[in-house]
Amino acid sequence: MKLLLAEDDAMLADALTTQLGGAGFEVEHAPNGAVADYLLQKQHFDMAVLDIGLPMMDGLAVLQHVRQTHPTLPVLLLTARDALDDRVAGLQAGADDYVTKPFDFPELLARLQALLRRTQPASASAPFGRLSLDATSRRAVVGGEPLELSGREWTLLELLVNQRDKVVTKEQINQAWSDEGGETGGGNSIEVYIHRLRRKLEDAGLVIRTVRGLGYLLEAQT
Amino acid sequence: MTAKAHVPTSHAGQAGVSLARQLLLWLLLPQLVLWMAGGVATYRFAAGYANQAIDASLLQASRSLARQLKPIGNGLLIDFPRAAQDVLEADPADKLLYMVSSPPGQFILGNQSLPAPVLPIQDAAPDEPALDTPYFYDGTMPVNGRAALHAPTGQPLRLVALYLRFGDEANAPQTMLVQVARSSANREELARRILVDMLLPMSSLVLLMTLIVWLGIRAGLSPLARLRQQVEGRNPTDLAPLQLASAPRELWSLATAINTLLSAVQNTVATQKRFIGDAAHQLRTPLAGLKSQTEIALQSTTDPELRARLQRVHDSATRSAHLVNQLLTLARAEPESVMAQDRKRFDLQRLAQTLTAEWVPRALRAQIDLGLDDSATVPVWVEANELLVRESLTNLIDNALHYAGAGSQVTVRVMADNTSTTPQALLQVSDTGPGLTPAERERVFERFVRASDIGQGCGLGLAIVKEIVERHHGEVQLDEVLPHGLCVSIRLPLSPTPAA
Repeated sequence: MKLLLAEDDAMLADALTTQLGGAGFEVEHAPNGAVADYLLQKQHFDMAVLDIGLPMMDGLAVLQHVRQTHPTLPVLLLTARDALDDRVAGLQAGADDYVTKPFDFPELLARLQALLRRTQPASASAPFGRLSLDATSRRAVVGGEPLELSGREWTLLELLVNQRDKVVTKEQINQAWSDEGGETGGGNSIEVYIHRLRRKLEDAGLVIRTVRGLGYLLEAQT
Repeated sequence: MTAKAHVPTSHAGQAGVSLARQLLLWLLLPQLVLWMAGGVATYRFAAGYANQAIDASLLQASRSLARQLKPIGNGLLIDFPRAAQDVLEADPADKLLYMVSSPPGQFILGNQSLPAPVLPIQDAAPDEPALDTPYFYDGTMPVNGRAALHAPTGQPLRLVALYLRFGDEANAPQTMLVQVARSSANREELARRILVDMLLPMSSLVLLMTLIVWLGIRAGLSPLARLRQQVEGRNPTDLAPLQLASAPRELWSLATAINTLLSAVQNTVATQKRFIGDAAHQLRTPLAGLKSQTEIALQSTTDPELRARLQRVHDSATRSAHLVNQLLTLARAEPESVMAQDRKRFDLQRLAQTLTAEWVPRALRAQIDLGLDDSATVPVWVEANELLVRESLTNLIDNALHYAGAGSQVTVRVMADNTSTTPQALLQVSDTGPGLTPAERERVFERFVRASDIGQGCGLGLAIVKEIVERHHGEVQLDEVLPHGLCVSIRLPLSPTPAA
């Protein structure tokens, strides 16, 4: 997985290169916007992490330029400025996600992985706990054993897995179900399906937490 | 961190003299003086004309009288018939007085005590007055004397004196003085009447003029009022230049000066914004580097003492980053900040949902059950700066997660409170942690005061919340939760529900 890291702070860039390398990325470092822009145009990358405040050419300009030639490249922005302003500007320029400095590396890594999952829906996604999903055949496997899942159960599980460690609201679940064209869920049908999924995931090392008043969150059992 | 602009809060107290009043004064005062001078001049002219008329009659009377005096030898023959005397004294209110004397002081006929003639000073020898030339002069009726029988004393008189010569060349010629006097009361009455007749229309003219001048000043100053309205009715964030199209030439320079100031302020605001952004960048990026480096170092060593020290460095970097964020938020919440002015309508309920959901993973890591009270999930509209309100709620959740402790519950709640006089949006974050004592509850709103030293707080959280909420005309309240815990309530004015 080849990743371009455009960051002008040498200390942060050094640390991130080491950490991302440790997480399995092949990292190319660009110390300024012009180099980042050049590398993005000349070489192939699977994703890019751009700091907004880059010398010579700022991250947003690099992003706008790369969007013209590589519209699907997953790009995560690092921002040290006011979160809201940069968020709006960054998302307008075509960023897929943003992380505010300073950050915990696990959080950055989780965002990058989520971004990869979202932008590159591989037919066989990386396993989560002992669970692996195959989106094309809509099948789930726990430790080699296939799971018996109804259509709605699959949709719900896929949503929870794609948004792992994040809250999935009841609204999002209903939305996903209606996108599938299925019958709309009645009053407490979400609770019923969650209950069924919990039983089926008992051996997967995963736990679906109920978040009061909001929805559900899938995380690895600790 | 914040530079307070020295803006004079009130200008009413030191306001100078009103321009309109000054103009009115300068236009009307000279006019009044001129009107008054005109009045005096009129009186003088009127008196002058009245004198001429009187003088003519006096001269005629004195000549007639003189004709009646015929010198006979050494004396005078006075042919003064009773009828003529009656004519002279006909009008009792305006009678003629006369005196014929032969200087020096030899009284011959008439009223003995008429004032002596005042001879013009330029006459070289007053003892030898010009003959047959009338001298007119003013005088008053003497107090003593026989004249008191005929006229009240002290009455103003107009007199004529005529020196005549009689006697032939043979007998030493003698000089005879004929004086005729007439009360000048009439003359003064006439002048006064003319004056009064003139003053009445004149004062109404003055009034009319005042009104016209006042209207003129108002019309002339109306562009100034328009300029003031343009400045007054302005949103504090609206730094666009004033419209100069309608400004008269005299105001042009003032308006241009204001526009120059506005663009300078705009620059300052932009500079401040850039500074906050730059400061954030300059501080956050190295801190991120510091954190990442210590994370790597932590992974690559197993020495427990070194790990403990590295962990402290890491925590310190995290705390510094937090402090930087808080200080920048505080700077943005200051009333001078443009951001504090930038408000729009949004649904507080939705903000609470999104933000709480974002915090759930961190709460789970801290083994805290963070949730939303969904007993009422109707939209709650407020008009506020969303980023700042978001920052307040972030602070409240952050505080609750820090101080409530593992195993506790933190609940976010948003609802419309229609029980108070004005409908309010109520945002609550309650926890089942140890809570605060009443004394602590008093102090935690102060900057850099922390109720406990657990966690990574910098003591700015609630101060920021208070600052932001008060900027939005809301209030913050701390309450005890039974059996233990703390509930922070934010009340903001409720914005009316938008039409569907």
